[in-house]
Amino acid sequence: MLRKSYTSGLMFMVIAGLAAQPVFAETPDQILASIQNDAKATPGFQGFSAARGESFFKAKHGKESSCVSCHTDNPAAQGKHATTGKPVQPLAPSANAERFSDPAKVEKWFKRNCNDVLGRVCTAQEKGDVLTYLLTIKK
Amino acid sequence: MKRVLVWDVPTRLFHWLFATSFAIAWLTSENDQWLSVHTFFGYLMLGLIGFRLIWGVAGGHYARFTSFRYSPMAGLAYLRQVLSGSGTRYLGHNPAGSQAVYLLLALGLAVCITGLFTQGGEEQQGAAAGLMSIAAGRMVKEGHEITAILMLLLVFGHLAGVAVESWLHKENLPRSMVTGIKDAPEDAPASRPYRLTGAMMLVAVTAFGAWWFFYALHHPIEKRLGYGEGVPHVAFVGTKLPDNAQWREECGSCHLAFHPSLLPARSWQRMMAEQEKHFGTDLALDESTSKALLDFMVNNAAEKSAREAAVKINSSIKPEDAPLRITETPYWVKKHQDIAESDWRSAKVKSKVNCGACHQDAEAGTFEDAAMHIPR
Repeated sequence: MLRKSYTSGLMFMVIAGLAAQPVFAETPDQILASIQNDAKATPGFQGFSAARGESFFKAKHGKESSCVSCHTDNPAAQGKHATTGKPVQPLAPSANAERFSDPAKVEKWFKRNCNDVLGRVCTAQEKGDVLTYLLTIKK
Repeated sequence: MKRVLVWDVPTRLFHWLFATSFAIAWLTSENDQWLSVHTFFGYLMLGLIGFRLIWGVAGGHYARFTSFRYSPMAGLAYLRQVLSGSGTRYLGHNPAGSQAVYLLLALGLAVCITGLFTQGGEEQQGAAAGLMSIAAGRMVKEGHEITAILMLLLVFGHLAGVAVESWLHKENLPRSMVTGIKDAPEDAPASRPYRLTGAMMLVAVTAFGAWWFFYALHHPIEKRLGYGEGVPHVAFVGTKLPDNAQWREECGSCHLAFHPSLLPARSWQRMMAEQEKHFGTDLALDESTSKALLDFMVNNAAEKSAREAAVKINSSIKPEDAPLRITETPYWVKKHQDIAESDWRSAKVKSKVNCGACHQDAEAGTFEDAAMHIPR
């Protein structure tokens, strides 16, 4: 009897402990893998490059703002919305564990921000390059 | 002649606390930043008046209403006597002074009650919160201001009377109100000092002040809004507004999550209908998110709220308009027109979208008067 309640108590603690953890549906690597799957559909795909991602991240693409306008040129640092001044939490997963953990969010922000910066959607190649670059950033 | 205690301790404490409360409440009435102080002294005055009414029955000899039960006619007759230079000396309240006491108590009560309903109506805060509409609250505010002015005039009359009496009878009346002692004929009754009641009064007032400034206001607002040290003044806590995690997440990523009660439903409907050109950005929200956000915003839009900002913004917008910027609503424009250009340009403000620079409670959406402070 005593043993049983002890076990169920332990079980309860384990479950409660699991529930208290922040739930991230996926890891950035899983998200990168799924982008890679999309990219493979393009003929001539030769993998992602952190260097290409970095220059994409820091360049202007014919619009007034670029990625660094809000995220700053250090993705591990806190940024600031270019128009409203609202703080933007760090983008690099090493500095902010929430980043690239929710596929729906990744989708939403790539869609919105690529449109702001390029005036079109980003290709899987571009997304993969940028995420590869972001994963190289140390805190 | 002998020395007699005329004003007992509670009566003297009442007098000076009442005078101080009125003076501070008067001085803090113009600037919303001091609203919490103003209101504290309002409640204190109300409590003091309540005490004085009881003390007028249960207090020392000279504090009892029965010891200065004079008619207004007797008061006028006494004033005429004094003006002809032959006023009789009264140990307690003279007939004219008695009228001042009654009128000050009555006006004080009127000022406190109108103040209570002004705050309850206009700000939907305080003990009378929600009992009155904002429009009714504004009318009561007129009464609050008029009774306060009448009370100030009466205070000046009282001071003039004290000065004339002191001169006429060659005695220091203000000092007697401090010490309680007066020169009296041999047969004059003396009052008991009632020191214990006085001490209890002081404890009650101190406890009320401590509770008000350290708990009721300061503690919760700092806790609720997440402020640390250095808040320049005590902000008011009103009712908490309806909140929604999804709305806060979606609308609060790029800018302050502007509370739905700051624009009418038609503005929010237009906002979501035109989301592909949302101030230069295509929000590209999926259908279920758009619907959930719109539901929350429409259900809590300005016309659904009794808050001061909501009601005033909403009534300022023409029915055919559906502004997308809160800063374009006529009420907002009017309310911010006196802010200096240099304050707008200040590094701590910079942009009109930065509500939180001055409104400490912008994140909560309450925009309390007392939570407003221009950083300089």
